[in-house]
Amino acid sequence: MVGCTLPPWLLGGQREGFALRVRWEPPWVCGVHMEGSWAGVHVNGVVGYPCTPYGGCGRGAPHPGAPSPCCLPCPRCAQRLCSAAWGDTIFAVSSGHGRCGVAVIRTSGPGSRGALQSLTGRPALPPPRVLALRRIRDPATGEPLDRGLVVWFQGGDGVHQTPPRQRPGSAGPQSFTGEDCAELHVHGGPAVVSGVLRALGALPGLRPAEPGEFTRRAFRRGKLDLTAAEGLGDLIRAETEAQRRQALRQMEGELGRLYQHWSDALTQALAHLEAYIDFSEDDNVEEEVLSQVDATVRALEREIGSHLQDGRRGELLRGGVRAVIAGPPNVGKSSLLNLLCQRPAAIVSPVAGTTRDVVEVALNVGGYPLVLSDTAGLRDATDPVEKEGVSRARDRLQEADLVLAVLDATAVPTEPVGLGAALGSLQPPPTTPCIMVLNKADLLKGKGGSLRAACTQGHPLPPVTLLSCKTGEGLDHLLALLARELARLCGDPLSGSPSLTQSRHSLHLRQCAVALARYGRERRSDLGLAAERLRLARRHLGSITGHVSTEDILDIIFRDFCVGK
Amino acid sequence: MLLRGSWRRLAQPSAPRPWHRRAGSEAGAAAAPRYEVVVIGGGHAGAEAAAAAARGGARTLLLTHKIGTIGEMSCNPSFGGIGKGHLMREVDALDGLCGRVCDRSGVHYKVLNRCKGPAVWGLRAQIDRGLYKEHMQKEILNTPLLTVHEASVEDLLLTEPEPDRPGKCQVTGVVLGDGSTVHAGSVILTTGTFLRGMILIGLETYPAGRLGDQPAIGLAQTLEKLGFAVGRLKTGTPPRLAKDTIDFSGLQERAADNPPVPFSFLSEAVWIKPEDQLLCYLTRTTLKAQEIICDNLHLNNHVRETTRGPRYCPSLESKVLRFPNREHQVWLEPEGLESNVIYPQGVSMTLPAELQEQVIRSIPGLEKAKILQPGYGVQYDFLDPRQLTASLESRLVQRLFFAGQINGTTGYEEAAAQGVIAGINACLRVRGKPPFIVSRTEGYIGVLIDDLTTLGTSEPYRMFTSRVEFRMSLRPDNADARLTHRGFEEAGCVSQQRYEEAVKMRAALEDGIATLKSLQFSISKWSQLVPEVPISSSRRLPLSAFDVLRYPEANMELLARVVPEPLGKLAQWRQLAERLKIEAAYEWCVENQQQEIEEVRRDEALRLPEDLDYFAIDASLSLEVREKLDSNRPQTIGALSRIPGITPAAIVNLLRFVKTNHQKAENLSSEQCGDRLMCWGPGQS
Repeated sequence: MVGCTLPPWLLGGQREGFALRVRWEPPWVCGVHMEGSWAGVHVNGVVGYPCTPYGGCGRGAPHPGAPSPCCLPCPRCAQRLCSAAWGDTIFAVSSGHGRCGVAVIRTSGPGSRGALQSLTGRPALPPPRVLALRRIRDPATGEPLDRGLVVWFQGGDGVHQTPPRQRPGSAGPQSFTGEDCAELHVHGGPAVVSGVLRALGALPGLRPAEPGEFTRRAFRRGKLDLTAAEGLGDLIRAETEAQRRQALRQMEGELGRLYQHWSDALTQALAHLEAYIDFSEDDNVEEEVLSQVDATVRALEREIGSHLQDGRRGELLRGGVRAVIAGPPNVGKSSLLNLLCQRPAAIVSPVAGTTRDVVEVALNVGGYPLVLSDTAGLRDATDPVEKEGVSRARDRLQEADLVLAVLDATAVPTEPVGLGAALGSLQPPPTTPCIMVLNKADLLKGKGGSLRAACTQGHPLPPVTLLSCKTGEGLDHLLALLARELARLCGDPLSGSPSLTQSRHSLHLRQCAVALARYGRERRSDLGLAAERLRLARRHLGSITGHVSTEDILDIIFRDFCVGK
Repeated sequence: MLLRGSWRRLAQPSAPRPWHRRAGSEAGAAAAPRYEVVVIGGGHAGAEAAAAAARGGARTLLLTHKIGTIGEMSCNPSFGGIGKGHLMREVDALDGLCGRVCDRSGVHYKVLNRCKGPAVWGLRAQIDRGLYKEHMQKEILNTPLLTVHEASVEDLLLTEPEPDRPGKCQVTGVVLGDGSTVHAGSVILTTGTFLRGMILIGLETYPAGRLGDQPAIGLAQTLEKLGFAVGRLKTGTPPRLAKDTIDFSGLQERAADNPPVPFSFLSEAVWIKPEDQLLCYLTRTTLKAQEIICDNLHLNNHVRETTRGPRYCPSLESKVLRFPNREHQVWLEPEGLESNVIYPQGVSMTLPAELQEQVIRSIPGLEKAKILQPGYGVQYDFLDPRQLTASLESRLVQRLFFAGQINGTTGYEEAAAQGVIAGINACLRVRGKPPFIVSRTEGYIGVLIDDLTTLGTSEPYRMFTSRVEFRMSLRPDNADARLTHRGFEEAGCVSQQRYEEAVKMRAALEDGIATLKSLQFSISKWSQLVPEVPISSSRRLPLSAFDVLRYPEANMELLARVVPEPLGKLAQWRQLAERLKIEAAYEWCVENQQQEIEEVRRDEALRLPEDLDYFAIDASLSLEVREKLDSNRPQTIGALSRIPGITPAAIVNLLRFVKTNHQKAENLSSEQCGDRLMCWGPGQS
């Protein structure tokens, strides 16, 4: 790698007399055309990628972070505009979440080859489906990220791909999605994982996967009609919901309000611009609408720009499933917390309303990280401090990934309907998984049998267990239930993967800001093109806050303007 | 109130099965005439449908109440506009009629949105009603293979369905008003607002389609019996004014374009001399009008009722109610060169006639205006278009196609666009060929039909550019490049001459772009050559002429002046020069959209079986999702994903079901992929 001469296509440029100040650094490696070791080249301080069908930009795709796009002609194609598709490659953490020994990051799409070459700094790929030990570097800075195992899967002849150079004897695409895939098995620390994700996100043509996208691609390639895919639909559902919760969790408070505000402002600006395009000639849509749109866009661009520099992304995130212990006062919630963490983390007393603030403990149950929160008993409190505690408890309940609803076994009805009503009175969020814990089982006398029967029969109820915090009876069952729920929650590769959400958000925000900046440039010359930039910006923001349909835009148009003949 | 709530399924007949027809019509069958395609209705959809089927080579019969009403413009005296102009260009690219006819009958041509970029230009023209009708009838009556017959249609001839397709029966012909029958390979219904059409003026109501026309009763009953779901919509039209009673002196003028831009790709220029074009005038309502309307709401049934009207073509009454204390624009549009009628666009209303006069006379310039015909409202049933496939064939009755206002759209252009597609597909259906579907990624026609057949509509559907995802690629200038080749090769509805023109243009464009791209100079050289173009100096690489052309300040004329060889000949061909400029300006955007377009196309390539019983299939779907799927019956995964409320999980579940049940042939070894799936689990440590 070291000591390579200048790529011939750059020499060509110099021969023709263009002043190129080339700083060329070894770790960049591109795809097919560049079998040497240059992929990205600094040209006057700008990173350029030559044209490759495997993810090189080839058509001036902006390199994130670069001041302006720069694209160099490919020596083989001898042109700057290449017909190969770029940007259709996705990546995601596909192993479990939280801190784990090894995290698996997977890419799928035509850029996988280039990505693997760039990150490993070697033009040669390991043989397909064979693990290889590689040093993984950030191609933009050359900084080493980790030493890990990488695997390369050769995809089939996709829409965008040239037919793969099939190894003799190999039949058909042998990857999960049917496309070119790469996997990086890196050490599971958040810094390593987010570093690799950031590096991948910075490669031209690679973007974080949307929920369910790997699966969708696999379907397109006919790879998923297998018994192994059983339950995949549920998985996808969990994936989207966990993502929504994750997004909600990250966006609670100020940040959430900020994103929502941007989203509303941008949607309205877009709707007004669309109204101006579709109706201004015939109707009362005045020119001043346009200057308002301009002002909104300028303000948004400024705000998003400064937000991106601000570096407080993902401050609220922590690995682990958030389980909340909730229930009426004095049913033994704090005792349960202490029992589970095997130390007196929370104060317990026979007095109702002892716990006022939220007590948090990090645990490991069945190998899954769990952040357990003990909350104040839910009741109409009169004491102002307790009142605040109850309100915090309710907030926690709304953000929970899992609810442990604790009830007093001696005080609940013994048939399922009554149990359901008792649970309902706690008002847990309807879509959040829940485990019912009936504490004080040791105090049950004759009632025990019928309650036990109700627990096992309870079809409309969430999992129920009888427990005595005092004697420890029923703890095994509770732990088994917890582990099952956690396994279900964590089967979802996206849940609790803060770095991915984080990198996904900032990537979309950055692209949104770029599109807004271009709006300003195009606004004077072609309103149609300017509107396209706003649509693009809206789509990127929509990837964070939720998508907006054409009908929503039309609703705003007809709400705000009197248009029509 | 939302109309969706008021969907009703018309009563199913309990007794005789619908295809048991009267003995009389069966007896006459042997002698009955036979056509490949029969079109019922001679409005804008019907005329285009009949002409398209005949161009495709089908022996076609057009049935209309009155030949004299073919090409009648029943509402506004204009064609085109923003979004609608795009549709007309696409209809023209498929060799449809309305563009050509408008180029021969317009009296005021104007491209709207001129300053907003060519992707959203709206070709529009005021049309002379008489001339339009005349030219349209000439086209229709002179189309080879097309027979026109004056008759009312009372009923459909139905028979057992083809077993391998969905549908409870198939249509084999029609029963006319005189009891005679006509056999048909396929039938297209383009009967507009005839289903329970009701005219409203003030508190009075008359059953009718257009004022003076009879609504069709028998046919409506047959459709009812067959179980088509219908919804109700309303629309309106303004009073017509006598030109010689209007004082135009204080009003704002709008002049036409000079030179006018023709609608058709085949027209070099329009028929009228630029200086002979008529003017339009702009005036505004005053608060007096608002007062009259608000004082008389109790006399206005149409406005008080809750049936959903269009939000974008509202009556003056609803404008005043929703946006009070404002002036509302009124365009005074000529109805023709010789005509004394003025169409006041913007004041459609349903007040009693004498109050309409008061409102009109409160408007500046119209103080003495005479009303020739009062405005009125129309309420009508339309068929839920979600019962149609993307080829506009109904799923209930095989070989029966629907096009135009009956599908819930409004506007001549929307009707014409559906007409062409229905005509082409009725013809292809008879031939046993695959349907001709325009995708959302290919044209406004595709967006229109996909929206209708996938999502249905709750108000009269009108085309806007904002409905179109790929607006930068689907431009009026390139409709021929998008559709003419397909129309010729797949649909056979495009004449040899037009096809050759399109081929010529495409080759010239490709050559032109290649020439421009190969012409490269350094930036400093370009800056010397064309100092008026502010080329950004941050780039160090040589710039092609194509790159320079994308600057707003540059055009082909300018480039040809400084580099006459080889650009001179490109600039001489005016249309080519304009199109090259547009291609250059939009190149990056079109390329960026290409990937998204691929994405949509891949989803559209995944077809769902038409006969899927969503309530019976063994897939993990909620009842709500099943109901949505059953009523929308998406044909592809692409359409499925656009239905509101369908979750990614439902899509995946459905895909799995469809894949395992309909493509068992596909044989993948579980070894290949099974191990990869394990990666969904937690990582090794």
